[in-house]
Amino acid sequence: MNRINWFGFIFISPVLIMVLLFFLTPVVMTGFFSFTNMSTSTGIKGGEYLINQETIKEIKKYNIQKDTIEKLQNAGYLIDDEGLKIVSKKYKESLSNEIKSFYLGEKFLKRKDLERALKKLKKNKIKKTRDRKEIAEIFKESIINERFDSKSIFEENLIKLEINENDRAIIIEESYTGWTWTNNNFKLIYNLPSSYKFAFYTLIYVSFTLTFNVIFGLFLAISTFYLPSKTASTFRTIWFLPRILPPVLYVLMWKWFTWDTGFISQMSTYFGAAPKNWMMDSPLHAWTVIVLINGFVGASFGMILFSSAIKAIPSSMLYASEVDGANRWQQIWNIIIPQLRWPIMFTTAYQTLSLLTSFEYILLATNGGPGRSTEVWALAAYHTALQNYAGNLQYGLGATYALVLVIIGIIASLFYLKFFNFKDLVIKPRIEG
Amino acid sequence: MNNYYRSWPITLLLTIISLPLLIMFIFQIIDNFTNPAPGGIWPSSFTLEHWRFLWETPKTGESYIWTVTFNTFIFASTTAIMVTSLSMTSGYVLSRLDIPGRKIFLAGLIMLHAFPTISLIVAIFLTLQIMGLYNTLLGVILVKSALELPFGVWIMKGFYDTVPWEIEMAGIQDGASRFTVWRKIILPQVQPGIAALLIFSFLSGWSEFVLPLVLAPSSDVQVLSTYLSALILDDNKFDFNLFKSVGTFYAIPVIIIYIVFQKKLMNIYGGGTKG
Repeated sequence: MNRINWFGFIFISPVLIMVLLFFLTPVVMTGFFSFTNMSTSTGIKGGEYLINQETIKEIKKYNIQKDTIEKLQNAGYLIDDEGLKIVSKKYKESLSNEIKSFYLGEKFLKRKDLERALKKLKKNKIKKTRDRKEIAEIFKESIINERFDSKSIFEENLIKLEINENDRAIIIEESYTGWTWTNNNFKLIYNLPSSYKFAFYTLIYVSFTLTFNVIFGLFLAISTFYLPSKTASTFRTIWFLPRILPPVLYVLMWKWFTWDTGFISQMSTYFGAAPKNWMMDSPLHAWTVIVLINGFVGASFGMILFSSAIKAIPSSMLYASEVDGANRWQQIWNIIIPQLRWPIMFTTAYQTLSLLTSFEYILLATNGGPGRSTEVWALAAYHTALQNYAGNLQYGLGATYALVLVIIGIIASLFYLKFFNFKDLVIKPRIEG
Repeated sequence: MNNYYRSWPITLLLTIISLPLLIMFIFQIIDNFTNPAPGGIWPSSFTLEHWRFLWETPKTGESYIWTVTFNTFIFASTTAIMVTSLSMTSGYVLSRLDIPGRKIFLAGLIMLHAFPTISLIVAIFLTLQIMGLYNTLLGVILVKSALELPFGVWIMKGFYDTVPWEIEMAGIQDGASRFTVWRKIILPQVQPGIAALLIFSFLSGWSEFVLPLVLAPSSDVQVLSTYLSALILDDNKFDFNLFKSVGTFYAIPVIIIYIVFQKKLMNIYGGGTKG
């Protein structure tokens, strides 16, 4: 018994690990990412603390003490190697060396203190006050543009600058460059008019494509049923090819067919029309082409299922109807269609789900254009998080768009499970141990 | 069925609605070997120049077609082998062994089988970045295999279910271990399923576009689908006949496999994975 369990465990564990890592983790992570403000600028691993001019602008908007900004910009004067190098380049090396021997590592809070100290130099006296000022400025320290990896070190530095607690908190929050938790994505999607548009486009896309798929699938299955088998299989192959061909090539063929140097434009010139891009010239045309591209692929799905369902109808039933004088139309309507009820329902349910989330063909064909008139929900998620012209990819917001689809997917697959004959499936194996 | 109806009206109607596809297919082939008359689409002269991408050395910054083809082959075949071998083992477990949690596994399997995987692409992209597998062929292979696995296990379980219990009982009663029974007696019985799954997942990997596009965009791990789409998007050299020739080159293995293994594949496509 034990040995068998081990055998089963070893046999199934690779699949479990793979599915857990690359399938279930992303499901959970979609939810996780949707509560963050991750983007190209925040990165996806942790962030760091950095005050730059942008941060200062933001900090100024808060109610902070007047001298806080000044403290940030002016963090005293430190004699370090970096400054000494500049001095030796700009002035004399001996001057740099003397300052080094006297003051290396020393810190001065105010410029006056440093200037006073510089007066004490013996070998290389700096005669002009202006020079002393300039040299002192070289050693000016500032927290601005310095990167801190951890919050505690950053805070320590702020404490050294005598910035009060309230302001510190504001500065720390504003200067963090990494991502943070937020529920803004949900608010944003709820408030953006464009997300309602995406939902509406998705509705159009799914309903039209689905209608096309089912009607053409039915028509192909029934018509090829009545044809001699050679003709029938030729047509089935023609309609099956779009499903077999790589999507990139299939859409390329449609581009050739519809673009301004392509087939339709060429044909229309014979009727005196100017060549134009029939796919991209108007939203209506773009939608028509998208429904056709998806429909010509999707129809074969119905065609296969319906064909095999029709073949399963006992031929005696069909013969009987003919003997009783039913014409072909009555035969289709009264015998074949009722038999196809379940396959039609299955096709509709299955394709609704996959169409809701699919964007491959639209991405390849119109990429959401013209304008954003063919941007369906799934494509919006893709564009927001993974590819857009602005260059700032908003992973968090994109994940939120995706989360909506993931939730729909989970609910739909629960239904799928319910309608499945699950009891038959879990019948206990007959060999124990 | 009966012969007193004429079939030509149906054939005619079918031909008309199939016309767009027919035109596209025919020109897809013709345009590989011909040049159109200027400003037109009808072929006027024979040429092989659209195939020059096969032997010309690419300019700097462009990928070499044979490297890309090699990548695609590695991607598709590794995915196929992984999906098939893992489905072979766990399909058997789910079909025949009474392991703890079997019900949950089966329910999960059905749910994952129906789940639209493409909606996970954003999270997968981020997860791979965190894992350090972004922009590697290995990352895409692992993801593609994991997403195909529920389907593969489902298919293999179905094939195992059809194998009669008696064979297995006999083997076990003769004293063979469960592993030996699986390897020597059961596996030969499900060979059609293994072959079909192997071919199916190879084709699926060969045609895959979105995963390599998002997860491995750099040019040294480019596959044929992303190569062709990048070529089409490149405004500097717009040449439909070149695109079509690359497309034909890309599709040749698919067509050959389809013609040779048509019958085996039809079993699987009946279940359908694409919209």
